[in-house]
Amino acid sequence: MKLRLFLALSASFLLAMAAACSRPGVDSEVKRYRHSDDGVPTNIDPLQAATVYSNQIVVSVYDTLYRYKYLARPYVLVPNLAAGMPEISDDGLTYTITLKPGVRFIDDEAFPDGKGREVTAHDVVYSLKRHFDPARVSQGRWLWDRKIEGLNQWMDAGADYDAAVPGLLAVDDHTVRVRLVKPFPQFMNTLAQGFAAIVPHEAVTAYGEGLGTRAVGSGPWKLERYTREQVRLVRNPDFRKEPLDLAYEGYDAALHGHLGIAHLDGKPSPFVDELWIDFIQESAARWASFTSGREIQMSGLPVEQTDIVLASKDPVALKPEYAQRYHLDTGPEAGLVFTVFNMADPDIGNVPDPQRNAMNRALRCAMRDAFDWQQRNDRFYSGLGEVFPGVIPPLLAEFDATLSRDSVTHNPERARARLAEAGWTAENLPTLDYGLVASVLGREMAEEFRGYMAAVGIPPEKINIKSYATFGDYNRALRTSELPIMGYGWGLDYPDAENVLQLFYGPNAAPGSNAANYRNPAYDALYEQSSVMLPSAARSEIYRQMNQMLIDDCVGILSLSRRRIALWHRDVLGLPDRQILGGFWLRFVDVK
Amino acid sequence: MAGLGYLIRRLATGIPLILGVTFISFLLMVYFGPDLSFELVGKNPTAEQIAAARAQLGYDQPFWVRYAAYLHEMVTFDFGRSVSTGQPVRGLLADAVPVSLALTLPGFVLGNLLGIALALLAAWHRGRWLDRSIMAFSVIGMSISFLIIIIVFQLLFSSRYGLNFFPVRGWDMSSPGAYLYYVTVPTLAIVFVSLGYNTRFYRAVFVEEVGRDHVRTARAFGAGAGIILWKYVLKNSLIPIITRVMFSIPSIVIAGSLLIESYFGIPGAGKLTFDAVTTGDQPVLKAVVSLTALMFVVVLIINDLLYRAVDPRVALT
Amino acid sequence: MSADRPHSLWSRAAQRFVRDRAGMVSAVVVLGYFLVALTVWLGLGGQDWGVLGSDSFAPVSAEHWFGTTRNGQDIFARTVYSTRTAFEIGLVVAVSSVVLGAVFGALSGFFAGSWLDEGILWLKGVLDAIPFFLFVVAVAYSLQGHPLAMHVAMIATFWTTTGRYVRGEVIKLKSMEFVEAARAVGVPQGAIIFRHILPNTSHILLVQGTLVFVTAIKAEVILSFLGLGVQDGVSWGLMISQSTNEVTAGFFNNFIAASLAMFVLVMAFNFFSDALQDALDPRKVSA
Repeated sequence: MKLRLFLALSASFLLAMAAACSRPGVDSEVKRYRHSDDGVPTNIDPLQAATVYSNQIVVSVYDTLYRYKYLARPYVLVPNLAAGMPEISDDGLTYTITLKPGVRFIDDEAFPDGKGREVTAHDVVYSLKRHFDPARVSQGRWLWDRKIEGLNQWMDAGADYDAAVPGLLAVDDHTVRVRLVKPFPQFMNTLAQGFAAIVPHEAVTAYGEGLGTRAVGSGPWKLERYTREQVRLVRNPDFRKEPLDLAYEGYDAALHGHLGIAHLDGKPSPFVDELWIDFIQESAARWASFTSGREIQMSGLPVEQTDIVLASKDPVALKPEYAQRYHLDTGPEAGLVFTVFNMADPDIGNVPDPQRNAMNRALRCAMRDAFDWQQRNDRFYSGLGEVFPGVIPPLLAEFDATLSRDSVTHNPERARARLAEAGWTAENLPTLDYGLVASVLGREMAEEFRGYMAAVGIPPEKINIKSYATFGDYNRALRTSELPIMGYGWGLDYPDAENVLQLFYGPNAAPGSNAANYRNPAYDALYEQSSVMLPSAARSEIYRQMNQMLIDDCVGILSLSRRRIALWHRDVLGLPDRQILGGFWLRFVDVK
Repeated sequence: MAGLGYLIRRLATGIPLILGVTFISFLLMVYFGPDLSFELVGKNPTAEQIAAARAQLGYDQPFWVRYAAYLHEMVTFDFGRSVSTGQPVRGLLADAVPVSLALTLPGFVLGNLLGIALALLAAWHRGRWLDRSIMAFSVIGMSISFLIIIIVFQLLFSSRYGLNFFPVRGWDMSSPGAYLYYVTVPTLAIVFVSLGYNTRFYRAVFVEEVGRDHVRTARAFGAGAGIILWKYVLKNSLIPIITRVMFSIPSIVIAGSLLIESYFGIPGAGKLTFDAVTTGDQPVLKAVVSLTALMFVVVLIINDLLYRAVDPRVALT
Repeated sequence: MSADRPHSLWSRAAQRFVRDRAGMVSAVVVLGYFLVALTVWLGLGGQDWGVLGSDSFAPVSAEHWFGTTRNGQDIFARTVYSTRTAFEIGLVVAVSSVVLGAVFGALSGFFAGSWLDEGILWLKGVLDAIPFFLFVVAVAYSLQGHPLAMHVAMIATFWTTTGRYVRGEVIKLKSMEFVEAARAVGVPQGAIIFRHILPNTSHILLVQGTLVFVTAIKAEVILSFLGLGVQDGVSWGLMISQSTNEVTAGFFNNFIAASLAMFVLVMAFNFFSDALQDALDPRKVSA
């Protein structure tokens, strides 16, 4: 019996080895690109396209009116489903957008006789109205809230889709006219977001909530399979045959020559038959899958691998053995991370009593001085991130490189002096909760934070670490102002500093995105003034003033932009960009 | 006939159990569970939007209404759609449960068979060095955390520090080759972690049997080890073996192997459940809890029936 | 009468235990760990586990015996401090769940067949019917933010086994002479249960306590990995989950230190528990 057992075991082991050698999924006829992401798209209904993960799938399977150029940086808007850039009236309020004719939705049972019909201006109107349907939950409504004439009234009147909204009209089948309540310079950018993807009403009627996991669009891809681990897309054979114009997309031989995409010029995209997107949250597992050579073909660079893989950090360069196998692209992220204080919390924020108010400001500023951004950058972002004062990140045109770096310089002596001067002692300091999402990095950052505070005389027991099991719970804590000290991150929805400055606009206070509950009438007035201005030197000056207010008030420990590093196998031809703004690149990828 | 009446009585006694399980789970996972409303409302929501989201999720209903609705869903076995992905819950479970089964079954079967084999060996040589070393290794095996085993096995089999033969994550059952490719490392981990427990448990059972008079007599008369172990020891130990196996079933089918699934990225029921707990996906949670409770009761009943089949002396009471 | 039995049981058990070499070695190891935990409690060691150092992932050196973490914290100090965390979790969970199991089990056994017994059995059935991790995750979740959430979850599930054993033993004991005698002289029921019967189950409680202790330490690792374990502080579980990102990059210090420290303690405790069972009940084969 023992012998038999042994034989059975060895047989199964051999079988397993054989299986390991005859690896499945190697199919030479199908051109397939396997992409990976570090998070899961919870829902791919355009109403919920709030994350990078959802957004990139939504913009792949649906059409948006506009998109960003493939290669040009900074990002440049170009027409996608729209035939051209909109006609904008002189007062900046009326946008007239013409659609490309003959674009069809994919064939789907949702349509009568299963054939996809033409995409019209009515679909555009319908898709935007859907965000304002009170029966539906939309994560994108805030983008257009009280900005389009009559849309909020339409919602309040019960959202009858047959009722016309004066500011959102289909003039004819191929023309949409939008009238804004006040100038909204970022309006075009919002039309390049997944939220603005064009959905046929037939699909909504047929599938309802089912659209969270299936898609009926007119984009370059068709959704073939949706699971929590992987999404499979196949080429939409009926996608409009637009030749890729590399020069138009911003191709620069010096910058992009090594990508090996020159031969794609003039050919219609997409270039591969299948697109698999694997969602791998654990960085170790993702990295192993990437380096195995048989699975995913693109990955970010996990922090803990940095020193193994990179030969130098400035400029970012791969070691030869990795450079042989992988392409590399790098740049500052379209976003930032920072820590804010809850300004509505009497322990640390603004209070009516002027003396205590000054003490609280001293405490906040002392904590900021105590924080060592450089070390945070070195240890958690491999020293690759970019620390900058205020909240306007380096990626944006409004970034001011001349701003004093005093507020991001580690200065424990001044921190101690500030505490002493304001009369804070180890005994009378308030006990402050520091929230974190229970992940390894979150915890290590919290310990680091506490270590910095301890070094200037704020005892560890005064920083109470509060862990939240999930991001959702942490998010709720932010929205309900439970925490005095909050780590915060923001991904840009569009490349305009307005998108980060609104994070401190009084009316956006919690449950809005102003988690700091910063309310400063002067700031709010400047925000309102600038929000209707087109990009200009005058607007940049206002942005600069607002940024300075945030620094002077010590609203938070501001800020750092991480460095995006994408690695992809040599046989993949393209320029990966996983950010919200770059979600369109998937249609241009090719494999050898 | 008596059997049928017994079955009905037994099912009836299962009802309080199911009610208890569902009530406690409902209280913990649903009522005090995570709040999804802020996940649904976007970056700058208004109070009305939040209220609308709460209403859509049913959070504004009183406790008893929600619990009653849950019981109704359970009776009809229709839990609606997952809140986070919008997929029908039934479909999610239908996808996930077979995966968990296929993932854990080989390890479970192998772990038990090996455990029984080692335990027989140990019991037969009770007190001698073979017994002692098997027991010592069992304790050592039991002392290593599952998480450590998974990390080490992944390093050994699936990373550049080790053999790098097997995939780090993913799942594919489309062909036997693909299945073996993906299931091998998880199976090894499951066998490793369960072997110590199984061996100890079965050894205790077998030692009892080996010590019985008739076995000793048979041994004294020179009956072969195989015959004794098979005819007397194994057969008479069937009840504890069956019980152990049966009671593992609900956790194999439903809870799956949470750690294995999340570490290897396998879309099974364990990961589905854990994700549902952490994201507050209540429809999925409700379905999983109901299914587990039902299965537990069914297992209890089948176990009783099997007792009777194996050992007619156990009366149906 | 009642004092009689335990006395001889304990002294005989002690004799047997002392003869058990593996048992003695493991007891010494456990004691060693306990002393380490004690020094941490008394503030004599491991206090610097949170202090940031200047070198990330420093290798083993005279200054840092086990190297450092990403934050430059001394892994040796963290390992030592985690011993305290482990004992805290183990002791709290073991003592509470054994007490709970003893009380419920005794009541259930003494009033076997009554509605109280039925109720307790029902509760046990319900708790057993919910898969362990699902339950722990749910409790930890619903009490979230509370530092004792994990402890509560474990206590709520771990008492049932003790309860079952105690119930069986009490049913056996309650018909014994000394109980009958106590009843005859009019000792109140509560006193009979808790003063006369329960002390006679102490050998079960002791063994169960050691088993729960080990289970709790092991469960902590997995719960901490899932983000539901230790909230603030450091533990072997947190160290191991920290190391999941590090091992692929070739930093094994955290992983080895925490797994080894935990493995040795758990193994010693397992052997200790075995020896204890053998000593207390030589006829019984350990399960």
